[in-house]
Parts: sequence; C-alpha cells; structure tokens
Amino acid sequence: MIHASRELVYDSARPRLALWEDALELWRYRDLLWSLVQRDLTVRYKRSVLGFLWTMLNPLLTMLVLSVVFSLFFRFEFEHFAVYLLAGLLLWNFFAQSTTQAIHNLLWAGSLVNKIYLPKPIFVVSALLVGLVNLTLALGPLALIMLISQHRFSPALLFLPIPMALTFLFALGVGLFVTTLAIFFVDVVDIYQLVLMLIFYATPIIYPVTLIPERYLWLVQLNPLYYFIQMFRQPIYDGTLPGAGLVLRAALIALVALLIGWWFFTKKADEFAYRV
Amino acid sequence: MFERTARAMDDAIAIQLENITVRYRVPHERYATLKEHTIRWLQRRVQYDDFLALHDVSLTVRRGEVVGIIGRNGAGKSTLLKVIGRVLRPTRGRVLVRGRVAPLLEFGAGFHPELTGRENVFLNGAIMGLSRAEMQAKFERIVDFAELREFIDAPLRTYSSGMIARLGFAVATDVEPDVLIVDEVLSVGDAAFQQKSAERMQSFRANGATILLVSHNLALVEAMCDRAIWLDQGRIVAEGSASSVVRRYRGDDERAEAKRLAESAGPSLTQRWGTGRIEIVAVRLKNGNGEATTIFETGDTLVLEMDYIAHEPIPAPIFGMAIHRHDGVHITGPNTAFAGLTLPTLEGRGTVTYTVPYLPLLEGLYHISVAATNSNDTEMFDYHDRCYPFRVVRNSRVLERYGMITLRGEWEFTHRSGDLNNGESS
Repeated sequence: MIHASRELVYDSARPRLALWEDALELWRYRDLLWSLVQRDLTVRYKRSVLGFLWTMLNPLLTMLVLSVVFSLFFRFEFEHFAVYLLAGLLLWNFFAQSTTQAIHNLLWAGSLVNKIYLPKPIFVVSALLVGLVNLTLALGPLALIMLISQHRFSPALLFLPIPMALTFLFALGVGLFVTTLAIFFVDVVDIYQLVLMLIFYATPIIYPVTLIPERYLWLVQLNPLYYFIQMFRQPIYDGTLPGAGLVLRAALIALVALLIGWWFFTKKADEFAYRV
Repeated sequence: MFERTARAMDDAIAIQLENITVRYRVPHERYATLKEHTIRWLQRRVQYDDFLALHDVSLTVRRGEVVGIIGRNGAGKSTLLKVIGRVLRPTRGRVLVRGRVAPLLEFGAGFHPELTGRENVFLNGAIMGLSRAEMQAKFERIVDFAELREFIDAPLRTYSSGMIARLGFAVATDVEPDVLIVDEVLSVGDAAFQQKSAERMQSFRANGATILLVSHNLALVEAMCDRAIWLDQGRIVAEGSASSVVRRYRGDDERAEAKRLAESAGPSLTQRWGTGRIEIVAVRLKNGNGEATTIFETGDTLVLEMDYIAHEPIPAPIFGMAIHRHDGVHITGPNTAFAGLTLPTLEGRGTVTYTVPYLPLLEGLYHISVAATNSNDTEMFDYHDRCYPFRVVRNSRVLERYGMITLRGEWEFTHRSGDLNNGESS
C-alpha cells in the first residue's frame, strides 16, 4: 500500500481555496505533468527526425513569403524585416498554438477525468510548457537568421526570459478560459481559430507599428497581445530594453488574465464530468 | 480537499457517504454550440430538466471490505462510483474517502498510441498518481505480469487490443490503491490471464485493500464480495450480505421478467397457422405445485396444459409441442403419437397435458410451440410457433453450466497402479 497516501482523506464538504489548492495539486501531480510534457515532446520529435524542422517550417516559410512580398511588391523599406517578422511570429505561434493545444489536451483527457480524479488544469499547463519548450528551441533558428542578415546581438537579449514568462502566464489564463468554453460547446474550437486569425492581423506582427496612423493607435493598444509582442521583439530587433511602463502593463494584463481564466476554469471544473 | 490528519473519520473506515444526492441538470433541448446557446440565452429560452441520479444515499465501507454494487442500467451505479472516485462532486451530502482511489480503466484509456509500451506504463502510473520512482520499482513486475517483455519498447499502435488490455490491467492493479474500483472489466484476455487476474484480485483482498465492484454478473458478485448493495433509481433498496442481496435482486428480476414473458405470451397472426378444425385456445405453463409460472430451475417439474376446441368430430388427432432455445436451436419435439398414445375421436372442449418430471435444460431463455394435427400428420389444425417463452435459472442443486442440458450422468473413478498422492504424504 502507498504510505504517503495513507493519511490523506478526501472530504467533499470541505470548502476550497481554489487557486491555492489547484497550485498545490499541480505540485502533487508534478510527475504526471512531467509525463505529459515528455509525451508531447516525444511524439513530436522522436518519431520523425524532421519533427523540429516541421515546427520551425511554418514560421520560417511565413517569414520568407512575407519578406519577399513586402520588400518586392510593396517597395517597403524596412531594415532587417526578416528578423522583425520572425521574432513576432515566434511569440505569436507560441500563444496561438499552445492555447489551441490546451483545448485538444483536455478533450483527449475527457474519458480519463470522467473515471479518475486528476487536477484538470494540468492538461492546460502541460500544453503551455510544451509550447514554451518549442519557443525556446526556436530561438536557435532565430539567431541563425540574425547572423545571416547581420543583425546586431544586443545584451538586451538576456531580458527575453521575462517577456516569455509573462506571455506564458497570459496564455495560461486565456488557455484556461477557452478550454472551459470548449468543454461545454463543440464549436468553440472553430470560433477560437477565427478569433485568433482576427487578432493576428490586428496585432503588428507582419507590419510595423509605425504603419498605423496616430489616431488609430489606441485601437492597437486595446489589444493585449500587442504588449507581449512588443516586449519580446524589442530586445531582439531594436536591441534595447523595453520600458518599465510596457513591462508593468504586460505584467498586469497577464495577472488579470490568469486570475479570470483560473477563476472561470475552477468554477466550472466540477461540471466537466457531467459534460465530457 | 485533503487533510493530513484524519480526525473526521474512524480509522477503520475507508469510505463514508452521508446523504449523497446527485442532480444532473440536463438542458431541455441540447444546445451543443456556443452560437445556439447564446441565441437561446438572449431569447431567455434555455430550459433545464433535473434528473436525480442519486437520492439520499448513505453508505459506510470499512477498510478491506469487498462491496458489490448491483442494479439495472441507469440505477446510479456509475454515478456512485464517480462520487467516490472524486470525479463528481455531489449536489448535496458529504463524501469522505481515505487514501488513494484508483479505477480499473477500460481498455486503452490514458494510453497514447505513439508512445512505446514502456512510456505508456509510466504515463499511466502518473495518471494513477504515482511518482516516477515508485513506478520504476514496479516496472519489471508489471511487464512480467502483462507478458509483454519483448514488445515493451514498440509503439502501442502495434499492439493488439488484447495486449493493450493486459498492459492496462497490469498497471492498474499494480499501483496498489487503497480503494480499487472495478466497473465491469474483469473479462480481459484469455482464460489463463483471467485466472491470473482473479488471483491478483484475491491478493488485493488479502492485502487489505477495499474493493468496489460493479457488475451485472451476479455469480461474480456472490463469489467475490462480502457485502452488496442494490441500487434502483438512485436509491439503495437493499443492503447486506452479498448472497442475500443477490437473491432478493434475482427474485425481483425474475418477477419483472415473468411479467414481461407473460405479457408477450400468446399467438400472434404471423406465428399461428392451421385449418382450424381443432383450435388450441389456451396454453398454460405450471410448476410441480400446480402454480402458473414462466421461471423454472433446472430439475424442476414442468407441466404444459393445452385447452382445445374440436369444431367437428376429428378421429385420432395428434397433439404435440416443441422447445426452441431463444437463438432458434430446436431442442425437442414430443407428441402424443411418439408416446404411443392414440386419442379417440374428439369433439368439443378438452385439455391435453404434457408433464416433464425433471427439466434437464440449463440456464437460458426458451420458447414453446404447440400443435394439433390429424392422425397421419398431413393436415395441420392449429400451430402456435414459439409463442410461449419461459426462462430457466441456475440453482444450487445443479452446478452444470456448459451447453444446453444436463444428462444427469454419473462419474466414476478407478485407480489402477502407482501411488496416490492425496497431499497428505508430502
């Protein structure tokens, strides 16, 4: 018999401090979290040698096509446009792909969480961790592109873990939110893809911020993704540290998103077993 | 949700349910999409039906007990397991469970086809709440038990379904939960593996694990469980020793079926033909005590009575019957002529009786046909094809359970040479 579990008693009537206890449960199930992350990475990278290449192919091709289109056809004067594009695309892909994967993860786990108790946020967190690993690996090809285009490597690059961590928290909040919706409604996966596409074009990723007329700038600033992309891209492209105001605003947005997502998820998590 | 100190519970108690009610809220119509739901919600037309899956259920299971849960489909058995397994939070009431609860998952749940058997074992263990180190210690034993040593590093998609089921069972039963939940999955693998599975369940019991077993296999519940509860429409209707609860449930089941069989008895147009010069107007099945019934035990007396009307004088008619098993196998077809009985010329009303002093049929559902023909079997007066169902149930007198009938044969044993080892000498 398991000794550690001997004195554990589950009491359905005890009131819960959701956020804190969920975090504790994640820690308790850290081996499962690790197994899930390992599983997704193994499935992606082990079975095909090209696994990593496939992951990078999408942003690289998009970057290539857009660079050619913008510089050749629109006579668009923009120094090192490839670096600018790839930096934005990588962070965007992290956000879009891992939140989408979170939905699929929980739907996969549906038959499981119906049979056995598991801390359900674990499936969202694991999707995001996998995304974070992919993003970190993708920094290699990014460095390669910077070398080729003779872009300057600034010490500000050392700041990158901060925007990555903040984006992670923001994406976690969004992931928890959309995943909860997706459990209840089958069309959420499709609607979410549509929304993602709209936000993608509304965010200055494939075009410079300077392209936006002054009087519409407030519209862009309503978009939370704008801050994360800016914060991530600035050390890479401009070689400077993002301003404290920008970082603080991003941190605040991440925190609010996380709290709302977590609250919504926990509030509805008890109903999952009735639905999936 | 977890407390390090178990003040709330007596140490010897594994599971305690206090007035558990589970209410499902089912949307009146199913709005599966967000779009539809939003429209309905804006129109304020989302309506729900309440469905009580469990109603005020209280139950205490002591540590080391094996408890069977029986009942018809939809009685709330699975919901009860979910409440205990922490999957479903009850609408009202309180659940206390001590220790780790692990279900025997159905085939392949929690497995990933692209991962190897080895990786899946660790993933499955983690799902059951075990650490990597704990799984490492169990790994060799699991692989041996599942008999999959040479395939363990191949991806799971190359496994047969039987291999996956074996691996799943091996992992689930090796994680040694404090409470094991078994929901109708014991029939995994070949006979040898089933034997091993049964042994492992026994050793579970011996180690003091608490087991909850949901099954429609009443014989299994009787054999495995100390105690049983019978759920019906979300309530506990009976609780007690496994054999007494199973007996009550079986009795109720038989009464319900007897009612159903009686309602379905009687000829319909497609199942009846003949010239009608003699009509069979009523058919009754009785037991040895002369009581009308449609449920028999192997070895019972079965009496078949046919009331007839001969509309004109019919010389030496033949009355007969037949028994078919529910799948159409023709078992027997006796009649008055085979028995050497020549009836006189009949006119008007009467009754023909056929008595089986010892019913040799084993457990199953059977149908009786009745017929009346002329003396040389060239004219069918009346024929009711498989119109009268009856069921044979197991009993304690006849233990045979393979095939259709018992021949009531006798076994003998003669020893010719060599030492007999009765287990006493060694």
